[in-house]
Amino acid sequence: MSFSLNEVEATARKAARGAGYDWGLCEEAGRAARWLCSFGLDGCGALAGQLRLVDGTDLRVAAPAVAARVWRAPEGAICPLVAGAAVSDFAFRLAAGGFALDSVMTPILLLPFAGAAAHRTGATLAVGWQGFAAMTDGRELDLGTGMRSGFAARADRVTIEAGGQVMHALQRASRAEPNPDDWLALERFAQRTYAPATPESRMLGAGAGMSDND
Amino acid sequence: MPLQEAGRISERELVLSRANRSVRLWSHVVDALAEGRQPDSEMIEDVGYLMRTTAVYGSGKFGAADREVIADRPELEAPFQAEMLSVYLTRAFVRDLAERMARQRGGRRAVRLDPAIARHLGIGNSTGLGMAPFLVNHPVLFNNWMLAREDAVARVRAIRSATPAETDMFRRLLARSAESVRRWRTAHPIQAGRVAGLARDLEALELRVRADDLDARYPWDRLMNWAAAALSMEGQELLASLMLEPYGELVNPLAERMSDRDADAFLIDGSMPIAELRLLIESSFGWALAYDWTARENTARAWYVSEEKLEPRLGERYEEPVAEFEQPLAPARDAAAAHAALAAWDGCRPVAEFLHAHPEHRHSVRRAQLRRKAPYGEIRDNTIGAELLPIDMLRAKLSFFGATRFDPRSDRWVRICMYAGAPNPEELTEENADLWVYPAALR
Repeated sequence: MSFSLNEVEATARKAARGAGYDWGLCEEAGRAARWLCSFGLDGCGALAGQLRLVDGTDLRVAAPAVAARVWRAPEGAICPLVAGAAVSDFAFRLAAGGFALDSVMTPILLLPFAGAAAHRTGATLAVGWQGFAAMTDGRELDLGTGMRSGFAARADRVTIEAGGQVMHALQRASRAEPNPDDWLALERFAQRTYAPATPESRMLGAGAGMSDND
Repeated sequence: MPLQEAGRISERELVLSRANRSVRLWSHVVDALAEGRQPDSEMIEDVGYLMRTTAVYGSGKFGAADREVIADRPELEAPFQAEMLSVYLTRAFVRDLAERMARQRGGRRAVRLDPAIARHLGIGNSTGLGMAPFLVNHPVLFNNWMLAREDAVARVRAIRSATPAETDMFRRLLARSAESVRRWRTAHPIQAGRVAGLARDLEALELRVRADDLDARYPWDRLMNWAAAALSMEGQELLASLMLEPYGELVNPLAERMSDRDADAFLIDGSMPIAELRLLIESSFGWALAYDWTARENTARAWYVSEEKLEPRLGERYEEPVAEFEQPLAPARDAAAAHAALAAWDGCRPVAEFLHAHPEHRHSVRRAQLRRKAPYGEIRDNTIGAELLPIDMLRAKLSFFGATRFDPRSDRWVRICMYAGAPNPEELTEENADLWVYPAALR
């Protein structure tokens, strides 16, 4: 089925909340999924995969320490949403040298944040890991001759550095056609944010008041 | 599409809405037309529309085209143009439907609806809580609307002298506004009191502009200054709208700035010093920092989304199990919490460091930084207090759509009317496309 990018963003935001992220990061997750989909990449699949990975885990241990030159999580792999937000927030440090992140889950989800960092700094950024290289200036994305799907579920080291330029910008897409299983997974996560109806909420939640049928 | 909210539309569609008949007026109008006579004008005035729409969905909802797909078309550049057009066309369709049913029932005896009555009828709308979070979730868009209006009012107040044609137009429209107020029906006690106050305001305003010399210097500024002490809020706002009318050339260009094209406003500036962020929070939410957020009455409500309807609802935090499902629709409370957490931080450090340590305040930091681009982006009141009236939020938005006859049916849903007085599509011209919102008497 074909979804609007607005639907992708809204569903992704709710799904991230359902998986336990703070609201501000959920906004980032929604925007990240939309950003990938807007270049015809599978943002929904990437986010669904990531949420499946972290569901039920302590999200704090997947947050990297960012003071060092190489970012590492205290335990296990880095969450790309938490780290991505930091990439975007610490973009002002990029001029002094790039970022390196050790052991990252669903690394494709870092791209939208690199795009945001590129946008903030005005520099084109190169993002790479084993078998993958991308350039983005925030508005355009160039994956070179590399693949457009089947991205790694994990990367041992991701680098984000200033330099280069976008040569072959990906075509923009105005719709997303996610794999039905991934979309369903996002909806299931989103479902957790909905409050079950109670007799009180049926009566009062929307405002009983007068009839609308006269 | 029999079930609106279970349906799917495509990128070829822009808007999805449905309309319900007014039980009171529909059968009366169809019966009358079938019998060869025009409907009773008193009933027409009393109800004001044949059908009312409910939610009017656009911007990618239910699979429709995203806003971005149409945003570059000049005729759709301003916000909600496609949605507004669809409601306007629904009004014409509803008239055609009533005439057709009358013809089927009455055969040759049936007559068409008098075009003057058809013009008089608007299209109703019932709107609920779904619209209230919109204001909170689109601070830049909402800011742009408020800014356009505030700018327009400021421009007109700065006019040094008014021409006779301008003051004549103002006086004419003021008289016609009294007719609008006369037609405004509501059983809601608060709003009924306000409408009665507005009727008194209009009398006071008429007397004032009869006595006051609008030829003197800065006539509109003087009038607004007088109104601040003499009229209710309803009267002051109506006056502010009315005095814009003679100055279309001056204020209409402001409408071009009402859409939100700034996708980058979302991006957080992590390099901002924490001291600056604190100041931004204080300027948007200064009042909220001194507020007692531990008092139950100040956090009595929680916004949530119901599993059953997938729509925003407002619950009683301390009486229902809704707090764990709370939506981030209390920016004032959350800003105060972020401000408190920031107190322990060195003001020279970058915001990025705070956010990395406190991801739970990220949404509040984003909003605070928007303050620079969107000074009118925040509702300066508590959106979760026991005293909250969501209908006030609905009215703020609906007023920008030109809604009339604001009629709250509880504290959380309202009925309104749109396009009453507007020419129907087949009679629309450049000359009659403006000012129809000020009614002339039906007979």
